[in-house]
Amino acid sequence: MIERLIENATQLFLLLALAPLVTGVIRTLKARLQTRRGPGILQPYRDLNKLFRKGMVVPDTASWIFAATPWVVFFSTILAGLMIPMVAAKAPLGLFGGVLAVIYLLGLGRFFLALSGLDTGSSFGGLGSSREMTISALAEPAMMLAIFTVAIGAGSTGLTEIAGAAIGQNWRFLAPAQMFAFAALALVLIAETGRIPVDNPDTHLELTMIHEAMILEYSGPCLALVEWAASIKQLVLMTLLINCFWPFGLQPTWFGFGAAVGIGWLLAKLLLLSCAIVLLETVNAKMRLFRVPELLAVAFTLGSLALISTFLF
Amino acid sequence: MLMKPFLDMQLGDRIVTLMAALVLVLQIAMVAQRWIVIHIRIFAAQSFFLAVIAATIAWFNHAPHLYVAAALTVVVKVILVPLLFERLVVRMEIHEEIEPIVNAPLSVLISGGLTLVGYVVAESFYRPDEPGLGHNALAVAISLFLIGFFTMINRRKALTQVLALLSLENGLFLAAISLTYGMPLIVELGVFFDVLVAAMVLGILVYRIRETFESMDVSRLRRLRG
Repeated sequence: MIERLIENATQLFLLLALAPLVTGVIRTLKARLQTRRGPGILQPYRDLNKLFRKGMVVPDTASWIFAATPWVVFFSTILAGLMIPMVAAKAPLGLFGGVLAVIYLLGLGRFFLALSGLDTGSSFGGLGSSREMTISALAEPAMMLAIFTVAIGAGSTGLTEIAGAAIGQNWRFLAPAQMFAFAALALVLIAETGRIPVDNPDTHLELTMIHEAMILEYSGPCLALVEWAASIKQLVLMTLLINCFWPFGLQPTWFGFGAAVGIGWLLAKLLLLSCAIVLLETVNAKMRLFRVPELLAVAFTLGSLALISTFLF
Repeated sequence: MLMKPFLDMQLGDRIVTLMAALVLVLQIAMVAQRWIVIHIRIFAAQSFFLAVIAATIAWFNHAPHLYVAAALTVVVKVILVPLLFERLVVRMEIHEEIEPIVNAPLSVLISGGLTLVGYVVAESFYRPDEPGLGHNALAVAISLFLIGFFTMINRRKALTQVLALLSLENGLFLAAISLTYGMPLIVELGVFFDVLVAAMVLGILVYRIRETFESMDVSRLRRLRG
């Protein structure tokens, strides 16, 4: 009982504490790569701290959805985060549901975010919601196909089993099906976390913004919750990607020396993936919105090839 | 001692499968690509992976003449032809994007479907009792072939059609090396010379089409009917 509690508490702490750090590291690395100085890697913490202490402005037209959304988004993301294996192959809330639960908990958060964008009646919010839904409707099939490929390999949709199966086999990630699935999921990750070829996470000033347009009306603590949830979602998706496909260093249990090693590996892998994202963001320009379906069609095709080739190769 | 050749074979099979998968991914990337220079570079990368497949098969099957084929692939398809085409692009000052007839997402999906067809066709050639390298290389080869055909139909401009033809030829080469472990050297030499000459002739032809019709759009060639 106590052991389960420690597992949960550790992972919860990692999710809450690590998520802004990942965002900060990506921002700083990106600034350095573009020969800017950029803010320090702790800047997202300072932003959150400042926002939590500010007052809040709520639009007159807003209903209860507007007030409830930050909480729904925040807690559904946290819950999804507790269902994925981070340090050990065993996820703390693994018994609650597998990878499908994770995806649809994140989907629930997105649904409420889109509703709140529409709720205030501002034109920007509605625009952001409609774009977000368009992109997620296209990203979801690709993601599901990639996930099913991995799940078939493991014989289960439980993430604990998936990560466990991935640890067992050496060099399995070089199999074509795994590679296709990895590529598809990486493209979906870019779309889902609002990274550059799809959305620009750094600006409120573009007419092409997606995520920022939906949350334009939020201020103060509510904005802080939404931003925090967004960075946790990014961490969850990144962890899902690295622990399903490169499970090196994932520990069989949570306790003792192993946990420290597991956390070290997790940080190293996250840093590696962040570097890849930074590189991708720097060399690419943002796509026109109508080009995004092309990117996601490539992801979908890769995902279906992955699923087909698990049976054929 | 008995296990070693078998293990080697497995490693070879894995490398060939991986490279074949990369070749297929690059083929699909080519279908989705809009910029002709990047298109040419993807073709070069695809040819490079093809050369790696040829070299791997040569190593694990002890077929030294395939090394020559691999080296020729690198020289002709990775260096010479892309260089030739990039110079052509610069000389003709092509700045506009490739405009396929069927839009890009649908083309990519169709390519995925064609890959499936390739696999279904190749399945009937597969004999599990006969150990060999990369039986799925044949499936990839047939897919390359079909996607190459589709891309040729799908493009309007002559230069991009030539590129599709060359990637189709890559499929043929892959089929040849994966089925027969290499044709006789003289045949391969002939084929490579053929590719080089074809690329040069087609390059000149494309340039002429452009000069005469002030466009590379092949639908304008109908004017010849008079």
